[in-house]
Amino acid sequence: MKIVIIGNSAAGLSGLEAFRKQDQNSSVTVITCEETTPYSRVMLPYYLREKVSYKDMFIRDDHYYERLNAKCIKGKVVNLLVKERHVVLENGQIISYDKLLIATGSSPIRPPINGLEGEGIHHLWTLDDVRRLAPAFLRGKRVAVLGSGFVSLQGAWAALVKGLDVAVIEIMDRIMPRALDARGAELLALKIREKGADLRVGTFTKEVTRTGFGEYVLHFDDGSTLVVDLIIVGTGVRPNIDFLKNSDIVVQQGIVVNERMETSLPGIYAAGDVAMVPSFLDGRPVVHALWPTAIETGTVAGNCMASQGDVYLGSLNMNVTQMFDVTVASMGEFLDGADREVWVDERLAENQYLKIVLKEGVPIGAVAVGESELVATLGMLRPLIRQKIRINGTPRNLKAIMAQNISRHHKAFSG
Amino acid sequence: MCDNRCGINVFVENGSIVEITGLKEHKWNNGRLCVKGRLGVDLVNAPDRILTPLKRTESGWQEIGLEQAYDEIAEKIKTIQSRWGERAMSVWKGEALGFLTQEALYRRFIHAVGSPNYFSNDSGCYVGRWMGYAIVTGDWATQDFLYSKCAIIWASNPPYSQPNLTQSIFKGREKDGKLIVIDVRLSAIARQADEFVQILPGTDGALALGIARQLIEDDTIDHSFIDNHSVGFIEYSLYVREFTPERVEKETGVAAARVVSLAREIGGRRPKVSIYAGNGLEQHENGINNIRAIACLDGLLGNFDHQGGNFNAEKPKFRDLTLYSEKPLRHLGPIGADKYPVLYDVRQECHTMTAMDTLLTEKPYPLKGMILAGANPVLTNPNSGKVVKALKALDLFVVRDLFMTETAELADYVLPAATFLENSEFHCHPIHQTISLSKKIVSFQGCDTEFIFLKKLAEKLGKGEYFPWKDAEELNRWMLQGTGIKYEEVLAHPEGLEYAPRRYQKYKEEGLPTKSRKFEFVSEYLRDCGYSYLPEYIAPAYVRSPNPEYPFVMVTGARKVFYTHGRNRNFKRCITAIPHAEIEIHPSDAETLGIGTGDMVTVTSVVGSINIPVKVVGNSEILPGVTQVTHGWRESNINLIIPDDRNDPVDGFPLMKAVEVKIEPMVKHETENE
Amino acid sequence: MRFITMDVKKCVVCRNCEYACAFRQSGNFRREDSNIRVEYHNDVKICLPQTCLHCEDAWCLEICPAAAIVKDEDTGAIEIVSERCIGCKMCMLACPFGNIHFDKINMVSRKCNLCKGDPNCVAHCISGALQYTTVQDSCLNNREIFHRFIESILDINTE
Repeated sequence: MKIVIIGNSAAGLSGLEAFRKQDQNSSVTVITCEETTPYSRVMLPYYLREKVSYKDMFIRDDHYYERLNAKCIKGKVVNLLVKERHVVLENGQIISYDKLLIATGSSPIRPPINGLEGEGIHHLWTLDDVRRLAPAFLRGKRVAVLGSGFVSLQGAWAALVKGLDVAVIEIMDRIMPRALDARGAELLALKIREKGADLRVGTFTKEVTRTGFGEYVLHFDDGSTLVVDLIIVGTGVRPNIDFLKNSDIVVQQGIVVNERMETSLPGIYAAGDVAMVPSFLDGRPVVHALWPTAIETGTVAGNCMASQGDVYLGSLNMNVTQMFDVTVASMGEFLDGADREVWVDERLAENQYLKIVLKEGVPIGAVAVGESELVATLGMLRPLIRQKIRINGTPRNLKAIMAQNISRHHKAFSG
Repeated sequence: MCDNRCGINVFVENGSIVEITGLKEHKWNNGRLCVKGRLGVDLVNAPDRILTPLKRTESGWQEIGLEQAYDEIAEKIKTIQSRWGERAMSVWKGEALGFLTQEALYRRFIHAVGSPNYFSNDSGCYVGRWMGYAIVTGDWATQDFLYSKCAIIWASNPPYSQPNLTQSIFKGREKDGKLIVIDVRLSAIARQADEFVQILPGTDGALALGIARQLIEDDTIDHSFIDNHSVGFIEYSLYVREFTPERVEKETGVAAARVVSLAREIGGRRPKVSIYAGNGLEQHENGINNIRAIACLDGLLGNFDHQGGNFNAEKPKFRDLTLYSEKPLRHLGPIGADKYPVLYDVRQECHTMTAMDTLLTEKPYPLKGMILAGANPVLTNPNSGKVVKALKALDLFVVRDLFMTETAELADYVLPAATFLENSEFHCHPIHQTISLSKKIVSFQGCDTEFIFLKKLAEKLGKGEYFPWKDAEELNRWMLQGTGIKYEEVLAHPEGLEYAPRRYQKYKEEGLPTKSRKFEFVSEYLRDCGYSYLPEYIAPAYVRSPNPEYPFVMVTGARKVFYTHGRNRNFKRCITAIPHAEIEIHPSDAETLGIGTGDMVTVTSVVGSINIPVKVVGNSEILPGVTQVTHGWRESNINLIIPDDRNDPVDGFPLMKAVEVKIEPMVKHETENE
Repeated sequence: MRFITMDVKKCVVCRNCEYACAFRQSGNFRREDSNIRVEYHNDVKICLPQTCLHCEDAWCLEICPAAAIVKDEDTGAIEIVSERCIGCKMCMLACPFGNIHFDKINMVSRKCNLCKGDPNCVAHCISGALQYTTVQDSCLNNREIFHRFIESILDINTE
């Protein structure tokens, strides 16, 4: 059997590794448009703020493909010929497959703002992006970050650490609308400002112009302007599916897959940012574009390509990072709602925040801002969400409840 | 460094000790060590160790040579003894330097120089329990937890105070055993208890008598043992009839029904019942009789010297280093022996609380010199203010220690001492009937062992004939003479050499080791000394006649994991984890007082006041109205407010575990700017 | 493979294991340096020691975006390579047992590595609650041991 995997980031790699665990014989070809050995996208901002070295961003060694008995081809896929079971590369090369895993990931969206172009406009998504950005990412430079998602804010934090002047521009009336609730956002916003960033929420950038010195001028809807040297754009991503335009594969916000990561076309699988997978909580298809989801879906795809033995329980969104000297984490459904019960740990200090959201006694999500140990609490809560376990007792002694509920989790784990 | 005496491996690199681990083959600790054990490395290599003799001068401490120090001390001893009499000299043995041989050597030395005045920490710790049991059974038996069906831990917290008991308690419980913990506080061991009985401080005797009453009523008692091997059962059983479950509830706070169920649980598991009596029982005004009441349960249950019960281990019959039979000095009036004759007659202990009065009043005679080794009474004896004053009154005060303790600060001479790793000494583990010999691993120039120090000093005082052995090995070999135990064989068994196989119920042939050769429910000896014949219960003062001015009852001295009594506070990492003293308070009391954890309060007794930070503990951890303070801290030294004149009439032990106090939020002295 | 097993019927929360581990990590007795954490849950009367179970399919290892978590082939320990850790805390969020902790001084995640086959916590467990025991089928055993651990909690709860 010939296996082809397009993409060598989280989903592609875990697909390959899961497949190889079960099938040591079939031929596997990995196609990547990246020039280097696999690197970690998550580490890019850490590299920018010099927490890790350039070489540490590579998460597989030079002999990786050899060891996994896989062939790696560098090239960009431009077409998929379903009937022939062929993948066509930009250079015209044709690669045939029996089973295909599409793990092409996503690319940043550039919002339709006039003048948002030129060498000073950056993204923070690929190694190339960062290699291009790094030489300009210098103390004293002024940078505007458009958007306030995880990646944007980590970029802003890296810039602050490196001694740049930082402005964060968010069109919504609060930061991190998709990863934090209002209170969490408020606490983080306080920290961002305390660390010296100029954070502007509810601010719409109408236009970008340039001065004779090459500076960029952002023109906001309230008439004010901001002059910067660099702009980092982090206003969302879209799946890399251009090469599928000639195929009949069903695509919505991403490639639609079933719980075995199989697309509408038999033998073709998709995983990671490119796939639209069932959400764990309500089963609706979603594109979470998250590292853990990519690992999970890649693994399910790899297993299913080898045999049919794996079923994805659905993506449970989870985010965590440390930035602006505070830990920020969230998972599942963390927003208040009419049918939801909310527990906030009142015993925590004023700048600490832990909220757990339940529906009919079953936890469905949580958000934490503050000390790192809060993340461990979220970690222990995750299996309860996954196993849909009702929490009895009062939230006053959360840890004790967790301790008791580890048991129930583990029954499921061992069964 | 701790009397639990684990088997250890000591690793040496370039002549220095670098690591200590548990000895896997050792039956006592099975290779495990509490974190205190590893602190031995730090103890030996401590940067603040005293390595040079220090002499007090008007301009402060002066470093002097060892020979000069010994010469000067010898001269001063001679002067004191010639002017005030031989008994004006004394020694005080502590636990920071050595173990049993050290104790025997100090007893030997002071008799050799003609004085009966041997003091030690034992007049405030351990001996009370030993005596309580010895009066009833002739000895204090060892708990055979490994084979027990019912372990009772009474007023003790082995995980902190005797770590290795914990292993055997739980190993024994594995096979359908029960663990009963009776304590004022929900201690570490109590967390695992099948039955945790929370009792009011100092009322343990009433509970023991109540359990006894119930055992007799239910007839779950060992008639054969009682009929053949005991005295005084009739009088005893008549006395315990008063202790109905209802009365016990009133006295102890333990519910009447609980007393009954407890007795039934214990009775149903006899004779494999092991009872460990802790230090919480002995520092009371009626401590001895409370302990006797507990000891009497052995007579009912038939667990005495039974497998899985309280096993009366045979001890190796070392040659006696002390001179009590060779050179008795009872006629010279050992300090405290008139007031507490039982303490002296049974244990040859002089009474340290009385010593303070003697030092200050010269009554009944002047006490002018003292050599104190590895003890720190400024922190550990009651009424610290008085202790300081009294020790300052000495003409010659020599302190041997590893560190400049609060007591050493008062000395005329501070002499460097050797740690247990610089000495070779025997250790016994009675429960396994094993003996082992610790080796000298390293030595430090000028740090003599206690033996060498006493030998050199005795020689300078013309008493060298009492210390004829040239070194520790000769001494150790001498001690083994006639025991049938071979020195080389002990050396070959670091894990412990069994010196005799365990035998049970030895009393059937040999009788008990009491005067009557029987189990003594009542004590004629005590009656003859003018004390109670029966293990009489007298309610503690705070119950009998409460003083509204001091509404709280304070327990002191609960152990903390890596502090041994007053020691180890000079280790930085210990201070990182447990940085200061604190007063443990029930949440409802804290609320009434309007205080929280970390707040400072002033604690006042009739003796005085100290300021101390608060720790509000969990609801079930302590009873409302009861508080606990651990001793051994320079700041917030709780013994500053502990009375030294409320002693148990039998053994003279000070009241330290049921002291009436009041607690008030500390008044802050405002600064001028505010 | 050998595992650290935890007997909740023997643990007394004396914290010797915590201090021993903290000492191994940092030379101090700061509890937050310890990779084993012990808590007494007064309300449910549970003594709960917790340290890494070295899961057969360790999710922390799989999702670490820095590839900083590896399996030691000799001991079977799942280890964090501090030099590679970026401090993103993804592993803390991944661990269902709360057994990964954060080192605020070095800004990296920390967890038990079985002390290369001679765990210091076990050597200092004075109650016998912690054991380092050999078992044949590591995968099955890992789960079984935890199962027993859990059953004992349930026993206590139902009493």
